[in-house]
Amino acid sequence: MTTLRSRRSILRLLGGAGLALPLAHLIGSQSSRADGAVAKRAIFFTFPDGVVGPSQNGDPSKWHATGNGSSFTLGQLQQPLAPFKDRCVFLNGLTMGPADSGSHPGGAKKLLTATDGGMGRSIDRVLADTVGADAPFKHVYLGAHATANDASGDKYVSYVAPGQSVAPQDDPRAAFATLFGDALPTPRDPGAPIEPDPRKVSVIDGVLGDMNELRAQLGEVEKSKLDLHLEALREVEKRIKNPGLTGTNDPSCAEPSVDATGITDGTLHDPTYFPEVLRAQIDVMVLAMACGLTRVGVIQGSQHTSELLMSRFPNTPMFDPSFDMRSHQASHYGAAHDPSKREYAAFVQHTTWWVSQLAYLLSELASRPEGDGTMLDHSLVFFGTEVCDGNTHLHDDMPFVLAGGGSGRIATGRVLNTGGRRHADLYIAMAQAMGHSMGSFGDASGGALPGLLL
Amino acid sequence: MPLRTSLQRATAALSLLLSVGCGDSEGASGSSSSLPDPDDGLAAESYGPRQLRLLTRREYEATVRDLFAFGSASAAEPASPCSSDASCEIATESCVAGSCATDACNVVTFLLPAAPGSYGSVVVAGSFNAWGANEAAGGWAMSYEPTLGAWVSKRAVADGSWSYKFVADGSTWMADPQNPNGEPDGFGGQNSLVTRSCANAPPPPSGGDAPAGEPIYSKDFPVETRPEHHPFDNAAKAGLVTSTHVDQYMRAAERIAARATSDLSGLLECEPSSASDPCVRSFVERFGRRVFRRPLTLAEVDKYVALAVAQPDLASGVGVVLEVMLSSPYFLYRSEIGEAQADGTARLSPYEIATALSYAFWGTTPDEALLDVAQTGGLDTPAGIEAEARRLLADARARRVVGDFAIQWLGAERVLTVDKNAQLFPDFDAELRRAAAEETRRYVERIVFDGGSFDELYLGDSTSAEGRLAELYGAGEGGLLPEERRAGLLAHASVLASYAHSDQTSPVRRGLFVRERLLCNEFAVPPANAGAVPEIDPTSSTRERFEQHSSDPSCNHCHRFIDPVGFGFERFDAIGRVREQDGGKPIDASGLVEDLEGSSPSVDRPFASLPELGAVLVSSAQAKRCFVTQLHRHASGYHEEPVDRGTLARLAARLDEADGDVRELLVAITQTQGFATRRSR
Repeated sequence: MTTLRSRRSILRLLGGAGLALPLAHLIGSQSSRADGAVAKRAIFFTFPDGVVGPSQNGDPSKWHATGNGSSFTLGQLQQPLAPFKDRCVFLNGLTMGPADSGSHPGGAKKLLTATDGGMGRSIDRVLADTVGADAPFKHVYLGAHATANDASGDKYVSYVAPGQSVAPQDDPRAAFATLFGDALPTPRDPGAPIEPDPRKVSVIDGVLGDMNELRAQLGEVEKSKLDLHLEALREVEKRIKNPGLTGTNDPSCAEPSVDATGITDGTLHDPTYFPEVLRAQIDVMVLAMACGLTRVGVIQGSQHTSELLMSRFPNTPMFDPSFDMRSHQASHYGAAHDPSKREYAAFVQHTTWWVSQLAYLLSELASRPEGDGTMLDHSLVFFGTEVCDGNTHLHDDMPFVLAGGGSGRIATGRVLNTGGRRHADLYIAMAQAMGHSMGSFGDASGGALPGLLL
Repeated sequence: MPLRTSLQRATAALSLLLSVGCGDSEGASGSSSSLPDPDDGLAAESYGPRQLRLLTRREYEATVRDLFAFGSASAAEPASPCSSDASCEIATESCVAGSCATDACNVVTFLLPAAPGSYGSVVVAGSFNAWGANEAAGGWAMSYEPTLGAWVSKRAVADGSWSYKFVADGSTWMADPQNPNGEPDGFGGQNSLVTRSCANAPPPPSGGDAPAGEPIYSKDFPVETRPEHHPFDNAAKAGLVTSTHVDQYMRAAERIAARATSDLSGLLECEPSSASDPCVRSFVERFGRRVFRRPLTLAEVDKYVALAVAQPDLASGVGVVLEVMLSSPYFLYRSEIGEAQADGTARLSPYEIATALSYAFWGTTPDEALLDVAQTGGLDTPAGIEAEARRLLADARARRVVGDFAIQWLGAERVLTVDKNAQLFPDFDAELRRAAAEETRRYVERIVFDGGSFDELYLGDSTSAEGRLAELYGAGEGGLLPEERRAGLLAHASVLASYAHSDQTSPVRRGLFVRERLLCNEFAVPPANAGAVPEIDPTSSTRERFEQHSSDPSCNHCHRFIDPVGFGFERFDAIGRVREQDGGKPIDASGLVEDLEGSSPSVDRPFASLPELGAVLVSSAQAKRCFVTQLHRHASGYHEEPVDRGTLARLAARLDEADGDVRELLVAITQTQGFATRRSR
């Protein structure tokens, strides 16, 4: 089937041909480390409500891979990753720690912050402000139905400050416009250097002037709020004063486009269109990274305790217009609530579908050449959810996968039995793979997860 | 954590503590003997934090409209130009007279993606045109749009459900590959299905027009983060700016400046020859004062004039000035910083007070008159503040803000988007959802401004709903509601639908709604192995299906405070229609509010119907204090702390003295010491 491409449905900014612009000072420095390659990027992809893990009645997990090292068998729910089996590390036994046990919001707060109650910055923000800071966009946070249903702050996984989450951009059209609308000025003469827009320079300088004045006036009052704001202004200033793109040769950056067929204000939070919205957000993220716009991204699929009606997803085994099955409802597939096994069946399909979305992301990354391999070879992709088993809500043996070669820093194609290490240790290892010297993270950690880094 | 009221500490002295919490209570079950003396602390004034309050999207939008007198949304925002339907959003728009316009409700856009030249002709054949397999037989011809890579036809259909297929070259039948809805065609394949119900649909907006109240400039701003247990979008603590915000602010500023400078002399109120003309300076002074809600300093005026002069021409000079101002932290944050005093407090400046008043009561920037009052010392005394508060409350803009408050307090805006099963509730469309949300806004507005009282929140017997919503309610003459629905907000479709699942009611959600929103109780998250919604069993009622919550001690721990309240709503289905039966059994809408007041001994109040539940709430001191607390949260932008208990108790008493007149409560909020004072350390 041909993909429908209405002129305005395709998110496109005509950047003109030949936009392979040398902007080495933005991106180039990252890949030219003398001490060896570092992972070029990290994507954190979260999905809601856990998996069919070890259940309270003793049934074995349908998620976890079994075996050791490179000799292992995928868990039933991991099957969509079979084509990428050798590109992933299947993590067993990671724990988020004892506190907040039994809760979706507690898990969501802890998922990327590794702190109880989300009282720390999340790993994506830390990486964005350090190893990702040179990219035009330090951080890209996209959601699919993440802000739906009047979400409160605990639904969001990315924390810019202790206790302070922010909402992702749920609309791929707006996300695309933000990322590509300004980042790709049309060059007057292909090959000529792109000059900053003097008007924009005047504006950002004027705003920074006001900000500095206000900070001086207030001193310590509301300092952290203004610090964050100032950082944001500096990032935008950098984009304005260093226009253009990257050293990438990815041809899709010349005329970036993402198919957003069917996505309108009216369908944005309609479950029937959920698969389209999520796919578009994955496409936007991959394109942004292919074009070197960012090194750190979060894709938040839905939200914890999700009301998402999976039974409305067209062309999936879950589709059943005569019956409403919600994500969180299905996650409580325990026998006491689900004598007919209907929720169990739905939850298996649900988890499998989410894993297939990861597989889509990985296939997109793997389809784009980069350096001596593909983007996937140079990426780190974290995939996880806020509880382990959806029915028991526990935070042990978390269903996490790390995919991508991290520019040769990660030994993939393995199951890693971590024996109860904190999940913060995984993030430390990821940070180190990106060239960060992180030694600890979150409430409790024991250093980079052993056996992960090469 | 156990059940606790957010006022637990704040109101401990009033014996409001919930003494029977659910769970192993780390504090909620603390006996009052360990608490301060009942009078202790009540006399003390409390002050909130010094804070910068980021404009919410609502506030930003209203502010921009007021600053630039952008009246009608369509004035200078032209519709997207087009040359054919294919250059519009094809699925929902057509090109009409050179502009993209939204299609009427009954227009269906048929699209068949195909490579050029794949077919010679394609028609739509279906139950609407007697399945004509070609144009001669009545099939609807499609035309090929090379820019879309698809065959397209737009056709109006009558209300109803229609099945169809595409027929290529008169013989190749295929289902619509883009339409997930289908049914077996009887030949082993699928027909596609399209449904229209347009008899009562509103006409589509004309091209480019945003309906009143719809965001234009802030549409893509990040959604505000609401802290847990805080219903409002304006919590100062959560109003943080990321680079995504900055991008969006600058884009919006660019659009606004372009629009504003399209009538330069109107904006400047003079005809300068260049940016160095003194009239530009006076524009910076005059307009800067409106944008920053305070006079600019001399240095600021110099800076902005210099900025204008540095641009290549006058229009871009003024444009850049506007763009900087609209992206400046002085505009984006409303300042509640104040001037530090010797006693450890900080006194807000008159302009900060004016701003707090204006956003609290108008949701927008102060008008010239209010700034003038601030400038001339009119806000230096409580009486001066009261006079302005009363002036603002007498203006229609105050109604809108009370509506914003109400819809957020109740969490009722989710009625606009909450999923409902279209097969069970085919009529619950966008129009009905909007009407339901609108009714709730209007209802609270009327109570506040048209002589109503607090009691009517939960006991009102009439509705202003019209048309289909009135029909759904079974409203009679003068909007009089049937007896079972005379429970004020409790029986609003917005509330009933927001707190229900897509296909069934939810005693848990509705019970939590009462507990959290109306009684300000906070609950811990359910424990591990908490259940999900029991499946619909046609032979048992919802009530019966939730029995496990009361039979299982680990559930009953908390759910005894929740479900027996939620059962009171059982007369109303998942979209708020009255029902007589559930699961083939007569409805039992009786219930119990256990520990209504958070007092010791516990006050348990049984009820037999939703109106009786409303009466329980009206009689409850805790419900009144909670309402006061919610208003205070909305006005102050912060979540109350223990020190605020005296302030809140006095405000609740004021509401009683005023016989439930909420306007007096709003005025009283401006008369608390904390309104114009902050703690500076």
